[in-house]
Amino acid sequence: MPILRRRSLLAAAAALSAMPRAVRAATPLAAVAEKDAVVAFGHIGPVSDGGWTFTHHQALLAAKKAFPAAKFLEVESIPVSADATRTFRQFVENGANIVFVTSEYGDLLSSVADDATDTAFLECNGHRQSDNESSYYIQHWMVSYVLGVAAGRMSKTGRLGFVGSFPVAAVYGCANAFLLGARSVAPHATMQVILINSWFDPQASSQAASALIQNGVDLLYTHLDDASCLQVAEKNNVKCATWNTDERRLGPNAYVSSLLLDWNGFCVDQIGRRLKGQWTGGPITLLPMGHGTDRDAWGATVPPEVGREADAVRARIMGGWNPFAGEIRDAAGTVRVTRGQSMTPMALYEWNWPVEGVSGLRG
Amino acid sequence: MEVLSGLLSTAILSGGVLALAALGELLAERVGVLNLGVEGLMALGAMSAVATVGATHDPWLGFLAALLVGGGAGILFALATVVVRASQVLCGMALTMGGLGLSATIGRPFAGQPAGATFSPLPIPLLDRIPVLGPALFQQSVPVYLAFLLLPAAIAWLLFRTRHGLTLRAIGENPAACDAAGIRVAPIRFCYVVLGAAVSASAGAYLTLGFVPSWSDGVTAGRGWIAVALVIFAGYRPWRIVGGALLFGLVNALGYLAQARNWGVPSAFLAMLPYGVTLLFMIAPGLLRRGGALIAAPAALGVPYYRDEK
Repeated sequence: MPILRRRSLLAAAAALSAMPRAVRAATPLAAVAEKDAVVAFGHIGPVSDGGWTFTHHQALLAAKKAFPAAKFLEVESIPVSADATRTFRQFVENGANIVFVTSEYGDLLSSVADDATDTAFLECNGHRQSDNESSYYIQHWMVSYVLGVAAGRMSKTGRLGFVGSFPVAAVYGCANAFLLGARSVAPHATMQVILINSWFDPQASSQAASALIQNGVDLLYTHLDDASCLQVAEKNNVKCATWNTDERRLGPNAYVSSLLLDWNGFCVDQIGRRLKGQWTGGPITLLPMGHGTDRDAWGATVPPEVGREADAVRARIMGGWNPFAGEIRDAAGTVRVTRGQSMTPMALYEWNWPVEGVSGLRG
Repeated sequence: MEVLSGLLSTAILSGGVLALAALGELLAERVGVLNLGVEGLMALGAMSAVATVGATHDPWLGFLAALLVGGGAGILFALATVVVRASQVLCGMALTMGGLGLSATIGRPFAGQPAGATFSPLPIPLLDRIPVLGPALFQQSVPVYLAFLLLPAAIAWLLFRTRHGLTLRAIGENPAACDAAGIRVAPIRFCYVVLGAAVSASAGAYLTLGFVPSWSDGVTAGRGWIAVALVIFAGYRPWRIVGGALLFGLVNALGYLAQARNWGVPSAFLAMLPYGVTLLFMIAPGLLRRGGALIAAPAALGVPYYRDEK
């Protein structure tokens, strides 16, 4: 009998915890005076990486300029472990009103966010939403598509290569969009993907780039945080498109363009809302091309007519055209997007299958 | 053919980093001092090499700077472990963390910048014409020849062909006996720890001036730890270290080739492969001749020497 009672108690407790949090109409967090405000940035990498974390650091500098009286906290290279939870808790204990986390930490962040309901949390590439938690990312697939158009015109062999980190949605989105862009002008182009299982490992990325080039790839694309691929491409006389910042000085002949990141506007806007008492948690913000991400000025060796053609595509996309319309097949040949259908921003954000012509990624 | 040559060439490039770092570690371990600070030394070497090259545009000065900075850090480490006789494991950890942190802080202004100058290949006439092997083996830069030929030859000769080498090995095995025989243990240990640290740090210079031509925080990515493991793997012998480094580089490069050629093996498995193969090579000989002493580690490795202790 006691056992039975305990069991039913446990069941009741489980049912309680499984119940969804009461969904309330989103109420904004209370306003904060600028002189009392504390803004925190938690970075995944070092701000000296010249890439991802560097651009987020620029956003912090921009916010400092916009809100000179506010206090700023910044922690670099936060490992994806219990240390992250500790760091985020520290932010809250230091009175942070708004916290930017520059990569996905998932539950490591949510566990802190759920206890600190007066603090706004913004997770880059995150997926969770609550009253005080939201996320943001960029529509990198649009820029990748534009870069892909130029790549399709510039590649002589039609064999493109992608050096990526992990089999995550961002990698699928990048490689797929780039190849679809290339195929819009060179229908037989293919894309070989190598994953190095790290976001930052220059030795691994240069080896991966060499391996691709030795196998006949003549145009590389990479979203990694370092510029090794570009340097390898320059040495081997092939082309390379990159992410994050303008890196043409590292490979002036190889440089095609880069997917530039600019979080300044978004971060300043969010901090402004938080201070004025207008900030609410909720669904992800996907920054479109032109506001947060864009292609860099074309490289010196990109023929002007190729640049113009890709720019025309860019203008069409910014005018509202969605290039990710059916029919799109996956690598196994199955039709995933039928004719007349278009992929939604969320489908693109959570892309998890390789398109036809992409090899090295699992379906 | 070109693919094979490319594979070998990448293997040599990436193996060279390990070979240099591990040869430096060997010098310290042969006299009985375990230096776990290789990772930190490499980071310091990598950073100071790029900093120097940025100012002077001469890769050799960069290499020299790495040797000097490594030697400087080695003096600190030797003071702590040989003179003060603190725990070698803890001091090594401190050297790793200190080296990584210090190089990240000092190197911040030029992180991500391309190295001002890099080592250019020095083809060896005639030999570089050999098909497949020629371009991979004999069209490399001088530090590669240093790591794979000159240095291991010099260390092997020193350790196993000279009287001084016998002394070194004896100190690693039984410092008390050496002391009784009139050999000055502490000064010799001190010298070789410093020398080893300098060589290990030069692996960092090789990395940033010969392989990845720029410096950034975290560029060593744990290769220093692999170098420490490689010394054990190679049974504390210089030529085996070079072989092990080459094997590790080869399996590593094969992982990328497999992805580039789309062999359909998951990338996580390929990334694990070098470690798996290393493990296999360590276990296999032990299984084949059971009971035999496999790893001849210097008997006094990691033990501080006190004359008074009876």
